[in-house]
This record gives sequence, structure tokens and C-alpha cells, in this order.
Amino acid sequence: MLSERLQLKLYLEPSEHFELEALIPVFHRFIRDQVLKELLIDVVDYSHVPDGPGVVLIGHGADFYVGALDGAYGLVYSRKRGGPAADGRLADALRRLVNAARLLEQESGSKLRFKSGELSLRLTDRLRAPNDDATFADTKAEVVELFSRVYGGEVAVERLPTSKEPLSLRIKTQISPSLEALLEKLGGPPEVAS
Amino acid sequence: MTVATTWKQKLAGKVREDWAREIDIFETQIELRKKGKVEEKLFAETRLRRGTYGQRYDNGQRHDGEKTQTLPFPSAELTKGPVTMWDAPGMQRIKIPYGKLSADQLDTLSELAEEYSDQILHITTRQDIQLHFIHIEDTPDIMRRLAAAGITTREACGNTVRNVTACPYAGVCSTESFDVIPYANALAFFLLGHPDTQDFGRKFKVAFSGCKDEPCGLTNFHDAGAIAKTRVVNGEVKRGFEYYVGGGLGAVPYPAALFDEFLAEEELFPITQAVCRVFARLGERENRARARLKFVVKKLGIDEFKRLVLEERAKLRPDERWTSFLKDLHVTDEQPLKAGSELAPGSYPEGFEAWRKTNVQAQSQKGYSTAKVTLPLGDFTPGQGRLMAELARRFTGDSMRLTVEQNMLFRWVSDADLPAFYQELRKAGLGAAGADHITDVVSCPGTDTCKLGISSSRGLATELHKQLSVIADQLPPAAQELHIKCSGCSNSCGQHHVADMGFLGVSRNMNGRRVPHFQLVIGGQYKNNGGSYGLAIGAIPSKQVPKAVKTLTDRFVAEKRDGENFQAFVARIGKKEIRKLVDELSVIPSYEQDPSYYSDWGDPREYTIGDLGVGECAGEVVPLVQVGLADSERELFEAQLLLDEGSSDSAAARAFSAMVLAAKALTREKNSFLGEGVDEIVSEFRTHYYDTKLFFDPFSGGKFAHYFFRAYEHRAETVSSKDSAHQLIEEAQLFVEAAHQCYTRIAGALP
Repeated sequence: MLSERLQLKLYLEPSEHFELEALIPVFHRFIRDQVLKELLIDVVDYSHVPDGPGVVLIGHGADFYVGALDGAYGLVYSRKRGGPAADGRLADALRRLVNAARLLEQESGSKLRFKSGELSLRLTDRLRAPNDDATFADTKAEVVELFSRVYGGEVAVERLPTSKEPLSLRIKTQISPSLEALLEKLGGPPEVAS
Repeated sequence: MTVATTWKQKLAGKVREDWAREIDIFETQIELRKKGKVEEKLFAETRLRRGTYGQRYDNGQRHDGEKTQTLPFPSAELTKGPVTMWDAPGMQRIKIPYGKLSADQLDTLSELAEEYSDQILHITTRQDIQLHFIHIEDTPDIMRRLAAAGITTREACGNTVRNVTACPYAGVCSTESFDVIPYANALAFFLLGHPDTQDFGRKFKVAFSGCKDEPCGLTNFHDAGAIAKTRVVNGEVKRGFEYYVGGGLGAVPYPAALFDEFLAEEELFPITQAVCRVFARLGERENRARARLKFVVKKLGIDEFKRLVLEERAKLRPDERWTSFLKDLHVTDEQPLKAGSELAPGSYPEGFEAWRKTNVQAQSQKGYSTAKVTLPLGDFTPGQGRLMAELARRFTGDSMRLTVEQNMLFRWVSDADLPAFYQELRKAGLGAAGADHITDVVSCPGTDTCKLGISSSRGLATELHKQLSVIADQLPPAAQELHIKCSGCSNSCGQHHVADMGFLGVSRNMNGRRVPHFQLVIGGQYKNNGGSYGLAIGAIPSKQVPKAVKTLTDRFVAEKRDGENFQAFVARIGKKEIRKLVDELSVIPSYEQDPSYYSDWGDPREYTIGDLGVGECAGEVVPLVQVGLADSERELFEAQLLLDEGSSDSAAARAFSAMVLAAKALTREKNSFLGEGVDEIVSEFRTHYYDTKLFFDPFSGGKFAHYFFRAYEHRAETVSSKDSAHQLIEEAQLFVEAAHQCYTRIAGALP
């Protein structure tokens, strides 16, 4: 994947117990206790913005959002810079996303549940990953290869009908393993900052 | 065909040559700084002049609520300014002259927020856009992409002419003398990079207004403010400006002084140029705290300042740009997309009438309206940016304005289209009513991202919005129209001085812990271009502020007389009454009873101002100091009451006395034999707190002590005008506030 910048999202099961603001102290604790093995810097509350990024955990190399930028609540791992080489970027992003989702589920008791088999991917780099057919074809191949290997079963990849937005893909897997199982397949929790 | 691998390649030929060259130079400076070949202070000023600011925690330290932790940025040894880590995220300010945006520009801004920032575009109180959490090495590409869309970030920060602001209704307003936009547009680009604007000791702000009575231009607190005016000369209508200089908010606000009742349009540019030259020559260089033009005007007096400017004007070499723009004043005119037509009666979408009542205003052109999009705290997402760009293309013909109230204004909406326009906004979650009303609280970034923030102004604004939204519909119109503005510190970026209720962040030491507070500022005037400034009544714990707002609003609703606005109501009931409320709310439970009072809105960490910088530490916590500081606050409040009664001399004397009490309280910590004589207190304060820099704060240095020393030097001057007494009270307020901070530092018990 040529794009260094990407956003991978896991969606939340609808829950009447979900409160966005409840994540603020959780994210502050993630920074204090260096829970995610990332250089984390700050927490920003954008819950006042309709369909916004929600509550954001700002990092140096990557941010984590829990919000509804595309209209549905979920956790986004947003790689901004650095990270592994091109052929390992997507897998690394998935590993860090699943790890963070698992920790949030644990923190929340039973209030947060992620749908492991439903994701979206946006390539937020219009220079290296323009929203065109060629980038879509390359990205789709990479997504299918990785997700088939990690999830097993079939993987459906749909290109979202956007023109001015970055290239955006919806990913659905036939099998929905637990987050723990996924993380194990991906090599376990990240040990070092990417 | 070669595929572009950099934005520089991709945008080759699409960026103005001079702008492209400037950005290339900046990129080279970044590389040189990385190699240590540019000194850090020089690099800092260079990036500031390109709008690239620092942000909170960029010194690599962050307090996590328990202790300060080091943020291990990868380029640990490299800085982008003094105590500013290279890799620390920063803010990119983007100048949008008079807030005018085209749809394509808004698309570009949205792309940048999406790729480099945190998915949020923020509208500032000076019609700029800010992107936060930007890496310094991304800034050249950001600038290139903006430049390709016709936007430059040059001189968005630093000691330069900042964004030229103007009334967003200019050209479509029924109360304006004429459309000021051709003048604002031409002046903005005339001053940009002009040799006479490159050597200031501090920033310089310009604002335009089409009329005098409305608030939209807020010219009263700008370094140069121009209000459109016409005059009939020999039977011919001549255009000109009521021209003001030397206004400014900041820690001590100054109202602008009238320079010329009618400055002919041909003289607007040369006179402004001459003002800039005088400012560059006579403005303070060493002491940043007194470097704005307002201090030059104050020191010289407006008559002498005007004489110097006119003298300078006479020496200027003529420049064809002074008047060439006058040949075509229609160059900035907008062409509506559709014919103006009446709103047809019928059934409208849910919420339309409420939205129309607060967010829609008829234009001077029949059949058209302006429509405001309420954007909480001035924030919106890239998706919402693209949607608004599409609405401009579909409904108005590409015309939008950012407003100083942090909203987006659409002009030239045909009245018949209003329901469809609203429906599109509503679908995107942008259909909220209440723009510029009580729920639409204005705020600077505060502790969210600003290095100088003391309290969470955005957190408070969010909470006020939530709580007021519940009751807003039940309030009478006079209460619905109240303006609330919040600043995270005394620097006034939230413009709290010109609100019905303004708040500025401070901190207090209570029960052995730090507690976030806000000073309540009452009596400011929003109308008349920000016609008068409020004064601080007292500090309220942050978590009690919503209660204060609710109580004041309820009381206004219950007791207001016919036709009485909030400012008149406050003047009638007196500040003593409001002070009682402040006193009642200043009591909070102990930490053990309720720790929530000891953290700020939207931030669960135990409150600290440790992220502002590390203070010196000496001595012990001695309650006597607190008693003395409380006395000084009481004295200060008495000064305000005297000012309200018209006793300027007594008010000034009392303000000075408040400073003496605060200085005495601190100095007794160092000299237990300190007497009561003012000379001795000043001398000992200087020895123990100024010479040792113990009183200095990390960002303002000794400026608040200077206020005290100057007041001491001028104490024998018995004739005080209302304005000078007002200023002395403001300065005393800041000195007392600094004494509180100093006390906390020397107590050493608190971060």
C-alpha cells in the first residue's frame, strides 16, 4: 500500500448504554499508563460536532477516533506518518485497531461491542492514493489477501461511491471471529510504537 | 506521462509564482533547521510568519493529572523554536481575508483537514480557519495546496498585519453606507508583504464595517478600524471612512481612538501605510506586553499620534495601488445564481420556522436572504465542508463567509429556496437554530490546544450550550439574544470583553488544591462595533459557571424593564448585586466530598496549570498570603463600583491600593518586618519578586509587575479619566491574578 496515511474502522454494535463522553477518561488513562504502545499526546472532545470524529486520542504516528464521521459509530485507527514498509501497513493498522477495540470493550464492561466482520478503509493521501480505479484495484487485492488470511472465508470489498472524498472501501467478511482470536492471528498486541 | 510523486510536482504551474517561491524557501528553511543551520529563534519567527504555530505540550511535557510525563518525540534533540519540540503537533492558521470562501477553496480546506489534521476545521474569532495537530514537515505541502486554491498563509501569525476582517453582511446589508469589501480586499493584499509592515514589534489588526451601530465589524478593538461613511460635497456623494486607531483587547483592552471623522477613500491606503510606518518606528520592541499600537497611541495621545502619521503620510512616495482599485469597485461583487423570489406559503420542513427566525436575515436586495449555519465552537468536519461547498454551488453562486461568531454565512439565497436549503443542512446535522444567540457560545481554543490556556473555555462553552439549549425556547427574546463568550486566559481571543456575559480562565488555590475558575466579565457591549468593554466582577469555580449563567439569565428575565437590555439591567441593579452571586458560588465542597470541582470541563484529569510551564519553587504555603490576596480582590471590586459611580479618581486610587495589598501579601512572605508604607512595599516587592524573577510567569515574564511599578510612579496624578481608571483597574486585575499564580508557585505544593 503506497499510502502512508490510512484510516481503518471497526463499527460498533448499536447500544443504548453507549456514551461518547465516557471514553474521555479512558483515553486519558491510555496516555498516562501508555496502554497502547504508541506515542500518545492528548485527548480531544468533538462530541459537539454532529457526525464528527467524536472523542479523539491524538498520537504522534497515529490517532484513534471513536465517532461517526461516516454516519455510524465505530473506532478508527488513523495512521498519519511513519509505520512499517508499504507491504506491512495494512496488517499493522488492523493489528493496532483490533488491539485498541479489544481494550475498549474490556474497559466498558458490556457497553461497547464491535462488529469484527464489518470495517471500512479510507486512504487519506490523495497524492499517492488517488480515488481512481487503479488505486481501488490494487487496494482491493491487498485487502482480500490480508483479510482472507486473517479472518478465513470470503471477503467482500465494495468501493464507496465518492468522488471528492478519499478512496473509501467497505469490507465485509464471511466469518466474524472474536477480537481476541483476530489479535492472536495478527501476532498479539503490538509491542512497540510503529 | 510522468506521475507526480510530490505535491510540488503535481501543482507545478498552478500556484502563483511568487507564492510558490516563498513556500519553496520555507521548505528549505525546514531542511536547514533540521541540519542545525538555522538558529531556533529565527526559525520560530519564520514559521510564525507563515501561520505555523505551536500547541500545548510542544515542550515535550504533559501533566497526566498525577505527574508530569515526558513525551518521547522521535526527534528528541531537534526544536522548531525555544522549548518547542520538532515533532510536537502544532496549529496551522489560514488567513481568509474578510472570511470570504469559494466552494473550491472550502473543498481544498476540507481535504487538508482530512489528510493532515484531526478531521476538524475550526473557524476563529477573526475569520480565519485553523487546523490543529499538524506536523511541521507537512506544512509546505499544505501551503502549496492552499496556494493552488488562491489562499496564502503568509503573515497569518507573527509580528505582521493579521487577517483583515470585515462585516460578513457587507454588500447585502440594509444598514451599511456602502459595500466595504472592495476596500478590505485591496487593502489586505496591499499590506501583505509590504516593506512597511515587515518590522513591527507586535501584530497589527485591521477591520472594516459598513455601519457604526451594529456589531458585525467590531472595529472598536482593532489597530486600524474603518467604518464606511458618505458625505455630500458640492452636491456629490463622496465615499470615505470614519477611521479609528489603537484599539485592542488582550489582557488590558483599549477602545480605539478616532483618527479622522471622514477619511476620504483615496487616503485610506496611504494613511494606513503611514500608521504602519509610525508603529514600526515607535512601537515597543523589548517589552512584548506593551508593544501593540494601542500603547503608542495611549502614550503619545491621539493628537500627537495623528500629527506624526500625517507627517509620515506627506513623505510617502506615491503608489498607484492607493487608488487603482477605485477604478473598479465592482470587482468583488457577487453574482447570485438564481433570481430572487418570495418564499411561498405552505408547509415547511420540521424546525424550519425556528431556524429561519434566528439564522436568516433579509438582504437589502429584494427576494434574497442570508442564511447562517450554526457551527458549535466553530468546528465542522471535512464532509460538512464539502456539503456546504455543494450548497453554495447549488443555491447561491459560490459565496460564503466565515464569521467572527464562528459560524458560516451564506449570502444570496433566494427566499423561495430557503426551505430546500434548510432541508439539506438538516440532513447533514447542520440545521440547528440559534446562531449568534444565547446557546451559540463563542470560545477560543483554551486549554484544548493553546499553550497559554489556563481553563477549558471550550469545555465550558460546550457545557453552557448543552444546558442552555434545554431552556432557550422558553426564554423571552431579550434573553435569547444574549451573547456569551469565553476565553481560556486573559488574552481575550474569545473576545469576552464585548459579551453580555464574558468569561476568562483563571485558577485558584482552594483547600490546598488548584481549582479551575473563570472570571465573570459583565457589562460589555457587543453592538456599536464592540462599543464598550466589560469588567471582571469576580472569579467563579468552573463547575459553578453554568449555575451563574442560569441565575443571571433568570434574574434578567424576571426583573428586566420594558426595552431594557442586559447591559442596562446590570447598570441598574449594580455590580454589588452580581458580586453577591459570585460570592455565593465561590464556595465549593472539599475534594473528599466532591472531587469533580477540582477538574475542568471535558477533562477528567485533576486540574493543573503545570502544562503552562514550570514555575520556581520556594517558601511554604502561608494562609496569611491568601487573606492578603482576598483583601486585594475586595479592594479591586470597590474600585469598579467607584468607577460605575463616576468617581474615576477614587477608582484609580483604589485599583492601585489593590495592587499594593497584593504585593504586600506576597512580600510579607519574604520580609516579616515589612511595614505599611507604599514606598517600602514597592521597593521590597521589587527586590524579592521582580529582581529575582520570582514573580515572572513563563510566558508574560515581568509584565504584570511593570503594571504595578508604573501605577506606583503615576500615583500622584490625581486627574483620572474614566478610560484611564478603567485601564488601571484592568491592569490591577492582572497584577492580582499574577500574584495568585506566584503564590501558588512559591507555595510549591501544587503543579
